[in-house]
Amino acid sequence: MKLSRIFILAFSCFILSLLLLQSCYSVRIRSVEGAYEPEAPLTRTDYYRGMAVIELDTVITISATSKDFTLLIRSTELCPSARLHTIEYRNTLGAILLSAVTFGRKRKVKIKYVCMKDDPN
Amino acid sequence: MARTTKYTLKEWDTLHNNGPFKLKALYKTKLEGSGIMPSKIDRYNDAAQEIRRLIGEAQGSNEGFRAHGSAWSMSNIAHQGDRMHFNAHMNLRSHFSGQEIHETSPYKAENVFLVQCGNTIKEISAYLEAHGKSLKTTGASNGQTIAGCISTGVHGSAFGVGSVQDYIIGINLIIGPNEEDVVYLERHTKPVLTDAFIQKINARVIRNDGLFNAALVGLGSFGFIHGVVIEAEDLFLLKRYVRKIDKNTALELAEGLDFENSPFKIEEETNDQGQGTTPYHYKVFINQYSKEANEYVVECIYKKPYRQSYPDPFPIIKQSIYGDLINLIISISRKFPKSIPAFVKSLEKTILPAVDEVTTGTLSETFWDAPYQGPAFACSFGVDHSDSAKALKVLTELTKTDGPIPGIFAMRFIKQSEAILSFAKFPITCMIEIDGVLWKKSRKLISLKEFSRRMIIALMDNDIPFTIHWGKNADWGFPNLVSHMYGEKADTWKAYRSALLSKDMQLLFSNDFLKTLGLFSEEEENEEALEDLIASL
Repeated sequence: MKLSRIFILAFSCFILSLLLLQSCYSVRIRSVEGAYEPEAPLTRTDYYRGMAVIELDTVITISATSKDFTLLIRSTELCPSARLHTIEYRNTLGAILLSAVTFGRKRKVKIKYVCMKDDPN
Repeated sequence: MARTTKYTLKEWDTLHNNGPFKLKALYKTKLEGSGIMPSKIDRYNDAAQEIRRLIGEAQGSNEGFRAHGSAWSMSNIAHQGDRMHFNAHMNLRSHFSGQEIHETSPYKAENVFLVQCGNTIKEISAYLEAHGKSLKTTGASNGQTIAGCISTGVHGSAFGVGSVQDYIIGINLIIGPNEEDVVYLERHTKPVLTDAFIQKINARVIRNDGLFNAALVGLGSFGFIHGVVIEAEDLFLLKRYVRKIDKNTALELAEGLDFENSPFKIEEETNDQGQGTTPYHYKVFINQYSKEANEYVVECIYKKPYRQSYPDPFPIIKQSIYGDLINLIISISRKFPKSIPAFVKSLEKTILPAVDEVTTGTLSETFWDAPYQGPAFACSFGVDHSDSAKALKVLTELTKTDGPIPGIFAMRFIKQSEAILSFAKFPITCMIEIDGVLWKKSRKLISLKEFSRRMIIALMDNDIPFTIHWGKNADWGFPNLVSHMYGEKADTWKAYRSALLSKDMQLLFSNDFLKTLGLFSEEEENEEALEDLIASL
């Protein structure tokens, strides 16, 4: 009896961790055209090494009257062109749960983006 | 005015983590906005003035100054311990009217373009394509800046074309802090621009084949390369095939490049007699550890006239592992244990994945982005292509007897360059390269420097003349390495550099790489003899 309980518990933990792992994912979108805004000095050690990356990790609140949310890309030091080269968004179980328990009012936004290199021509 | 930002740093590293190297300050210059200064020539000249100011500041502080681009080189060629300048934001591009081309020029105005130093290959390709033009060749990817490419000799495997520097037809250098230190070089036998245009960029012209060919692969030490004039050609397509073929056939092709009489044929690429046609590009991938390696993977690319409608190459190009050699080995290494001996053991059981890829695309689509994959090394030796099979055997045996080394080999082929210090010095140079994952020396693993030294010794012991890629890893301090590779040409290069640059500027534009190679010394030289070297002919 005890053994079967342990087995059920272990199996449930396994399924839960599998769900947790599966619910964390990222998707990257990259333009085939254009050069990226370069980073100098080089500091990153990931896929984005050599690129000027802007990272956003925040929670947005959607008002009752809004149906969607738009993030505006402005010209900044890291993004002088204000045009997108690459964007990566990440979804986690926490983000899904947050959205679920707040009925979609609060949404976790975890994105990285790289802009096109400024073209002075 | 162009604006420069200064970063006070302790160290600097390459893209592939081959450092770190000590550094005091990094500078980054951004051009004046086009709204404030609409004329491209005015912004170009404004940037030149800013670079002269920075050179003057470095000179005043008795410090060195060196430009760098995308930092893709794995040697310390781009490094200077005092002041480095990141030039990627100096990326103006321009074309010429017929009136701006020299009356005796062999070049058509429609093919001639001025590009500022910080333009990457990808940016230039996009600009040219908008004009219906293309670069003649590039490396296996597109992120290097044009100034970095020519300073180090970036090449592909277009053995009828050459390296990137071989389509450079004019060079605008800044060789000091003063107004008269802006010079424009071109060949006297092949002039490009009118004196009137050269005056517009406030430069003094020197038309001299010898000086031009010395500055062409200048190792970043002939002054600050502000811009280059390139010769493009009409846009074309490349049809790329990746196949596995018999090892001996692949090596015979490497030695002879005789595609007409080879048993290897691609059915779509034959002549009326059914013989194979000569490709634009030929590359061989070799896993030297594989015990079943009786076949090699080859990449053959054929040049085709441009047409607007062709299948989208990106679904295959973005997935293909047979592009950049570094990407191939790192993508293989991810599937295996992190321990180097275990990884190499796995390579013994791994044949390179079989492929039958066919894509059609422009040059820029075919040699597209190669994202960073992690710390990496690359060693690359140039040999006469008739020595390629022998040299490959020597080097692959060495990795097995003195290794394990966590890398695999490839061979690419380049037409001879006119640049004095180009490593493409043979009629057709075969670049034998081993790329792989960076490792740390241990009881079981020799260091990268030691491995590099043993490769040099092995080629010398087997009487195989060779050169080494300037931007790759090597034992650059090996005794008399440069004179062994280039003989008197190295002295000629030094003489031209001494003639063009003042004593102060020779020191300012030198670095440890140049000193290690023995290409910089502070000896007194015969100034009268040097004057002749920089005469405009």
